[in-house]
Amino acid sequence: MLARLRSAGLRLGSAFWSFFGFPADQTDERWNEGIERPWMVSWHAVPKRSAGTGFSPSDYARARERGERVAQLTLGDEVWNQLRRRGYVEVPSRLFEGLTYRLRIGRRVQLIWDTPAHALRSPWPFEWLCVNPTYPLPAAEFTAQLYLYLRDREEDVVRIAAPQPFDQALGRCF
Amino acid sequence: MGRIIVANRHGDQVLEWDPAATDTEEARAQIAAAEQILREARERGCAVSKKVDGRHVIDNSPFDPQAEEYQIIAPIAGG
Repeated sequence: MLARLRSAGLRLGSAFWSFFGFPADQTDERWNEGIERPWMVSWHAVPKRSAGTGFSPSDYARARERGERVAQLTLGDEVWNQLRRRGYVEVPSRLFEGLTYRLRIGRRVQLIWDTPAHALRSPWPFEWLCVNPTYPLPAAEFTAQLYLYLRDREEDVVRIAAPQPFDQALGRCF
Repeated sequence: MGRIIVANRHGDQVLEWDPAATDTEEARAQIAAAEQILREARERGCAVSKKVDGRHVIDNSPFDPQAEEYQIIAPIAGG
């Protein structure tokens, strides 16, 4: 009975998305069942530092634990251990001479300049960059993702980041 | 087994496939599902990282069923 209801719900959802031009692939759908695809959803109405409705304290704890495991897989043991030991990890800039990005879990990115002369050539008026994921993520997991962005796609971060005059917890992480 | 780590609010969820087993409809469907989710995520602005020589690097190449591990990386926004 429950399986039939679930199947009917999936068909209804599929029809709903098809109406808006997002065709569902029936052949592949069964392998994706149960995997949440947050890029398909608008998260604007979800409060800051929240994972949305229906998340219990144990869900948060489990998500954070899993997020840390994925962050370690993403960063590798050496960088992950650095992050745990020092509380931050640094990524040297490829685009700006004398700049190093300092990442801490769940916080804004700090700009570290080698010398005041380098800092004078900064493209940003402040020393913190606010960069958020567009959907809620455990903070450690997003830190690892931001590390990859800064290392491999720094141009994107430079284009998107919002400079800020002070540090603060990120709004889309928990 | 190949796998895609879907990073989401649950921490992660994993989609796996067997790259060696392409002779059954089930195995082909698993690979097609993996390819589809990667394509869909990229179309929606996500980046994708691929494990290469033991480390994750952001990757723009088409889905490779022989890859050991992919991860879907959230799009970013300022402010």
